Amino acid sequence: MLPTELLLFRVRAGLVEPRRLRPTTGNLGTADMLIQTFEAHIGKRRHELDEELRALEAGRQDFRVVRGLAHLLANRGTFEAGGHVEPGHVRARVFALAQDHVPSRRHTAHLLEQAARALSTDTPVSPAEVAAALYADLPDQQTLVALDAPTPLELIQLYDLSQAQGMLYRAYSLVITARRNEPSRYKQLLKYLKFFGLMVTVEGDADVGFTLTLDGPTSLFGSTTRYGLALAKFLPALLHVTKWDLSAAVKPRRDLAWVDPKDDEWSFQLTSEDGYVSHYPEPRDHDSALESGFVERFAKLDTGWVLEREVDLVPVPGGVILPDFRLVREGRSVLVEIVGYWRPEYLRKKFDLLRRSGRTDVIVCVSERLNLEKAGVDPSDFGDRVVWFKGVLNPRDVLAVADRVRPA
Amino acid sequence: MRPTLRLDRGTLVLREVPEVVACWFTWDARSQNHRAPGASYRPVMEALRSAGVSVVDEAAVFSKLELGFARDVTPYPHQMAALRAWKDAGRRGVVVLPTGAGKTLVAQLALRDTPRSALICVPTLDLLQQWYAGLVAAFPDTNVGVLGGGSHDDTPLLVSTYDSAAIHAETLAGTYAFQIFDECHHLPSDFTRVIAQMGLAPYRLGLSATPKRSDGRERDLDDLIGPVVYSVAPDELAGDTLADYRETIIRVKLSAGEQRRYDDLIRQRNDFLRLQGIRLGSLEGWTEFIRASGSPQGRAAMRAHREAKSLAYGTEGKLRVLEEILATHPSARTLIFTDDNATVYRISREFLIPAITHQTPVKERHAMLENFRSGDYRILVTSRVLNEGVDVPEASVAVVLSGTATEREHIQRLGRILRKSEGKQAVLYEVITEGTSEERVSQQRRGQWSPGMSAQDIADHYLDLNAPD
Repeated sequence: MLPTELLLFRVRAGLVEPRRLRPTTGNLGTADMLIQTFEAHIGKRRHELDEELRALEAGRQDFRVVRGLAHLLANRGTFEAGGHVEPGHVRARVFALAQDHVPSRRHTAHLLEQAARALSTDTPVSPAEVAAALYADLPDQQTLVALDAPTPLELIQLYDLSQAQGMLYRAYSLVITARRNEPSRYKQLLKYLKFFGLMVTVEGDADVGFTLTLDGPTSLFGSTTRYGLALAKFLPALLHVTKWDLSAAVKPRRDLAWVDPKDDEWSFQLTSEDGYVSHYPEPRDHDSALESGFVERFAKLDTGWVLEREVDLVPVPGGVILPDFRLVREGRSVLVEIVGYWRPEYLRKKFDLLRRSGRTDVIVCVSERLNLEKAGVDPSDFGDRVVWFKGVLNPRDVLAVADRVRPA
Repeated sequence: MRPTLRLDRGTLVLREVPEVVACWFTWDARSQNHRAPGASYRPVMEALRSAGVSVVDEAAVFSKLELGFARDVTPYPHQMAALRAWKDAGRRGVVVLPTGAGKTLVAQLALRDTPRSALICVPTLDLLQQWYAGLVAAFPDTNVGVLGGGSHDDTPLLVSTYDSAAIHAETLAGTYAFQIFDECHHLPSDFTRVIAQMGLAPYRLGLSATPKRSDGRERDLDDLIGPVVYSVAPDELAGDTLADYRETIIRVKLSAGEQRRYDDLIRQRNDFLRLQGIRLGSLEGWTEFIRASGSPQGRAAMRAHREAKSLAYGTEGKLRVLEEILATHPSARTLIFTDDNATVYRISREFLIPAITHQTPVKERHAMLENFRSGDYRILVTSRVLNEGVDVPEASVAVVLSGTATEREHIQRLGRILRKSEGKQAVLYEVITEGTSEERVSQQRRGQWSPGMSAQDIADHYLDLNAPD
């Protein structure tokens, strides 16, 4: 992500549009030039790199773009203090020696010689080396030792994404309209929501799509940008979800001279088709062998039922659950949740949420290896909508129940 | 069944709300329960108690502290008065004392008399170290923790930077019964105010020399901490706690060659501005200048401006004066302030004087200040990091080599040497360059000059601008 001062955007009729580079020859060239500059400075001091970068950006209209790209590259670099004398040690020695005199530039060379003698062990140290080592550990004196170099295209994608993320730093909340799609990959999205301490309100159903409103606990008492950073970090996770529109209310940047002081809210909008690329890992299609085995076996069946993965967000008080599968046949649908091995408190919570959802069209498949009684779970509420299985879950058993379940 | 009060990420949550506290809670449809800001914990609990309604309190996990106070100090009358006023106000409120008047002792006494888990927020890493050292000295049997500057402790007595406490506000909210805010004018900013809003702490103490903020949000301190319960101005204490000091302004003239160069550069810049019809007197003018600096001529003008600025700060001339001042006080404990890190390191390298900037590692910074206190280091050079309330009692000479124009900084820099030390008159040298715009910055710093922003002020802030291209 980028610091606020490197964010570039314009505002049109209250809509903020982050700067996008797009992979034109010119932009790819700029990215390539910067990557090469960084690579050429592996083994050199940071201030040399910084000077080179300043020279590169000088006089360019787009110097802030260059600076932004360089910032993202620097984040992928490893900087370390070099040299064979430890700077902190050198400072302690030099300053201790310097205490005998009233500081004066006339004494400096002499003191450095004294310090060099004192610091020389098996390897002799010169006064010049002492002077160089004095602040070798400062950030701008450190050496670029390694670079996790992206390709020019990846750098431009990262830049565009970072600019879009930056628009959310000052967001009060974020509304996602998710259109009907399969697979929708909501699971990772929900995980990230939890991870970043965000709250979600879900409305809608699997056939028409959902509206998800994201904010945080204290958003209830008034608009707050407290969760802006979390929303920004969340954006790359959302990019793995297909078919959505996003709209965020953003607090205007009053600190900028060109901003109309009458603006009291900006809006930031994005869709899944805007071509942003996530650098978060792709979610795996199935998170357990149990589920992928079920899908494989289901594919071999000759049945009128269609199996959809993770398409239905079921709102429950205090959150949302995402059943593993949805079975659809001639306008009817049932949800399928597979409960494999889990810790007792997870099981309790899972069953509690399923119960609180109030849905009567959920089939729960439970491994016989689970000791539900010990976990304090009573599956009898689900009546005949429970499918017990040993090791392997047979899709036929699930379909047999599905045929009986009344539509919701 | 008694209702259960829970804490959820800095908010209080109840499934059913007793009528007497309904006004603090809001129905939250997202989670199907009632929610209130963490800070309403005290009025909620007080209202429940006076109505005789009992709840299960799962929100607060405060702990008692065994604070053996190992300090044999006699507080000054103003410190005792401040403590009394704060207690009389129900252990909530702000105490305003000048830098050097012993705010830390007031806080330690408040802790001694309120022995509950306490979170202390400070604005800088130096203050973090200083509070840590002070608390260890005052309460040697207590495990004092640090949050920020690379440390992440989790102790009932915790010192944190505002930034770290704000980042972790949700997790800190339920643990601390007592919040102390040092230099509390930092608290009302958008990012840090959540510490007070999410925190349950029934007891709150704010400390400041100058609670004023440029945005006027010091008013919010009433809600976040409590009203000002005690206030005393520097001149009411002079002679009592604070040593007398003498202020000497030294004007450095640019050498004839430097002056010619400066005039030349300013002429170059102004020619360009005139051609472009840009007037630098306003922020818009400055923005235009930045936009125009893309062209080769504009770039040259901007370069001329920068070099003129650096000449105006007159570093070379100031270093000559510095050398003279250091020779005048060959044994005085001396602090040198400059505005920019580059000059700090230049002085450190050229004079071999130990330096502290925000880049100095926390432990080394602590060791340097200890060395300075003990007399092992007689002189320190520093950028702005020591500005706020860092306690360096032995300094009797301060040299300010350049500065930015804010009133508070000036007061607090002065405060650094306003310490009573036996028979010593403190001296503050301010070294400014004559005949350039920087002079006005110095005047403004002392409250003598203020009409609008000078080009220099704007130049100092130009990186904050973010015009689209």
